[in-house]
Amino acid sequence: MIMNESANPNPLFMPRTYLTTESNKTGSWRFARPRYDEKTSPCSAACPAGEDIARIEMLATQGLFKEAWETILLENPFPSVCGRVCFHSCEDLCNRREFDAAVAIHSLERFLADTAIRYGIKPDLERRTPRKQKIAVVGAGPAGLSAAWFLTLLGYSCRVFEASEEAGGILRWGIPAYRLPLTALRHDIKQIEAQGVSILTGKPVTAEMLEALKKDFDAVFMACGHGLGMAMNVPGENLKGVGEGLDFLRQIRDGQTPACNGVSAVIGGGNTAVDVARSVVRLGGKALLLYRRRRRDMPAFDPEVEMALDEGVELQELMAPVAVAQEEEKILLTLQEMMIAGEENSRGRIVPDHGKIHQVRVDRIFKAIGAQAVEPWHQPDAADRDMLRLTHTVLNRRGTGAVLVFGGDLTNATKSVVHAIASGKQAAIALDALFQEGVEAVVPRMEACRVGDGQSLSMEVYLGGERRLRNPHVVRYEEINTDHFQFIPRVTQPRLLKEERARSFEEIDLKISAQLAMKEAESCFNCGICNQCDNCYIYCPDTSVILERDTQGRHINYDYCKGCGLCVVECPRNAMSLGEETP
Amino acid sequence: MQTDVMDREFVHSGHVGCPGCGATIAMRFVLKALGEKTMMVLPACCWSIIAGSYPQSALKIPVIHAAFETGGATATGVRAALDMLGDTETTVLTWAGDGGTFDIGFQALSGAVERNENFIYACYDNEAYMNTGIQRSSSTPYGAWTTTTTGRDWKKLRKKNIVEVLVAHRIPYAATASIAYPEDLLRKAQKAKNMKGSRFLHIYASCPTGWRIPSEMSVKIARMAVQTNIFPLYEVEDGLRYTINYKPREYLVREYFRLQGRFKHLTDQDLDQIQQMVNEDWELLLRKAGERA
Repeated sequence: MIMNESANPNPLFMPRTYLTTESNKTGSWRFARPRYDEKTSPCSAACPAGEDIARIEMLATQGLFKEAWETILLENPFPSVCGRVCFHSCEDLCNRREFDAAVAIHSLERFLADTAIRYGIKPDLERRTPRKQKIAVVGAGPAGLSAAWFLTLLGYSCRVFEASEEAGGILRWGIPAYRLPLTALRHDIKQIEAQGVSILTGKPVTAEMLEALKKDFDAVFMACGHGLGMAMNVPGENLKGVGEGLDFLRQIRDGQTPACNGVSAVIGGGNTAVDVARSVVRLGGKALLLYRRRRRDMPAFDPEVEMALDEGVELQELMAPVAVAQEEEKILLTLQEMMIAGEENSRGRIVPDHGKIHQVRVDRIFKAIGAQAVEPWHQPDAADRDMLRLTHTVLNRRGTGAVLVFGGDLTNATKSVVHAIASGKQAAIALDALFQEGVEAVVPRMEACRVGDGQSLSMEVYLGGERRLRNPHVVRYEEINTDHFQFIPRVTQPRLLKEERARSFEEIDLKISAQLAMKEAESCFNCGICNQCDNCYIYCPDTSVILERDTQGRHINYDYCKGCGLCVVECPRNAMSLGEETP
Repeated sequence: MQTDVMDREFVHSGHVGCPGCGATIAMRFVLKALGEKTMMVLPACCWSIIAGSYPQSALKIPVIHAAFETGGATATGVRAALDMLGDTETTVLTWAGDGGTFDIGFQALSGAVERNENFIYACYDNEAYMNTGIQRSSSTPYGAWTTTTTGRDWKKLRKKNIVEVLVAHRIPYAATASIAYPEDLLRKAQKAKNMKGSRFLHIYASCPTGWRIPSEMSVKIARMAVQTNIFPLYEVEDGLRYTINYKPREYLVREYFRLQGRFKHLTDQDLDQIQQMVNEDWELLLRKAGERA
């Protein structure tokens, strides 16, 4: 039987709570203060173009391919190109290497670019209000086009003068199609033009024309690259049958099929030398690659060397040419065997191994030992002390005329595509700072948009985007809470078979599926940036992480946070920091 | 797991749990899983204090503060009252510390589950009487310092295996869980909610104050207890069907012990012995789960 309590003459006293504990402001206990503090990922600091890689991977994981692709474009207008030919120093510094293997950042970059092409996505990038200054760019290679792209984003009108009949520079004429297919390059260039850059092809700039440009434009960016092969300085090097590797590559990309019967000797150890040797193989010839140092000293990317050897290129190390002579139908190449006499700059220092002379009979020789500027006036005057020398560009603002800026291979210590892009970006930022605030602003502005502690610059930071709020501290592996990650094997890049490679110029690296790409992106630690994993909220013992729909997605309620620091430790990616509480 | 389950909240800020308190994290998780239709029986434990002094409450659900030894009995009564009112929807949850479960509340718990009373008994285990000043309990592990096992007299007896005791009662559900594995914990609490009869959750809840660890390390330490097999995650249905939920890599117990002040007196030899004990227990569990012949 249920007794009716209200009918009880001596009612039961039930103490009942009617307040919450929220009147206790336990925040006063705190002596350490957690805060959201996004930091810099090592990959982004290692990328010469300063791409926001941790964020790109985060967006790709969420399937936001367009946004991820736009995040690349904000720092680099060449995702199709760089996803293929960049040497990806980002992956060398990936924190995941210490855990299992580096994230395949370049494969993802290429995937995002391919996806954008496939679906015809147009980027929605903000363009600043138009500025009155006009800028001429000499050379439509990666440096020139990047400068034009960034200057256009900054509101300037740009005109690019290109000597060849098609834009692209070394990308168009120097890198073989099996590494960089024409469609990929053309897409990136079309993208740049769609942003408002006008490219005039078949317009070589002469010394007189440069003077005219300096009158018509407020600045001229010199990015005509290194197109003239270096001399070997050995007797007989100008004989018929001795050619420039770059010219040979250009003929092929021009649609010709130069004769390659018999044996072709290729002198050099850089990417051009390897590309020439591999092209020779593809045209049915035998390639003998001769390098004066060892294989491990070669500046060419190691996977490329590996594939070249697979395809049948023969490599002879420690061989320096000393003489070239005609011998009936053949060319007699005399080689001096070299020996290692120590190490310098982490490469072998070589000296002739006396008495060891070899001779080979070949059908032709390709030189690929480096290149230099075609005309002396392409180069900034090394003796001129008034020029403003930046890491990737040199500014000359002598007199009242146009500002002359040198960039790309003309000024870069490392001659790579991504360094050329970095140079174009630096030129754009320098010119904007110069035009808007004066020469004194150039260096401080440049400093303010550095990524982490390195040399790379961020256009997003320069434009005042959210990325400027990041702490420049570069996240170390020990700062990652690896408990929240699992071992995942790195994606294996699908490739054409060796047999298929050796007889065509088809692209070697095949596409990866969206599913594989997302899985790979998911393996990224997203070092230093919040990916909304909510661990801070989940583990807070004091219910002091409040979810909300702002950009961060949550905030700390300091009225109650006791400063235990759990959120900071359980943040998998070091996007939080614990500081001292100041009274 | 539904995402909105993680987003709902039944614990107010401003409670007086120590910074980094594992028991509070455990409470947040369990209530997220059980939802608002829950009544709590709270025998004496840390949470008796954390829940707030009259007239405050840190919880958004009804709580009955009960005497130390009555967790099982009070819950039996609350359940009976709800049943008489025709309320079969509300979950009755006893929330007790290790003292109120392993020692003082043991007979009431054993009695209630023997009758297969329809409630969930959750024990948040911080391995000593933390609220009253870190006195050893029968849950205190081998090797630990407490204020009653000091100096050379550190505890040289094994921790009572409470889950096996409950399993011996052949109750419908008994499981271990850890604050470091929220998905697993929430899944088990929801699974328990959807069952009838006596259900038991043994939740590992680190205590920065009593374990002598930095407050920010409390989840890390709880995770290491699982990774080292010191506190394996498993569940047992009807006292018979064992499922091991997490198979760790070969982490050494040494790592776990080295980080805690309560174990700092242990020698390498002691740690080797503890490693053997842990290995032995793990092998036994594997056999029960049918994963070893």
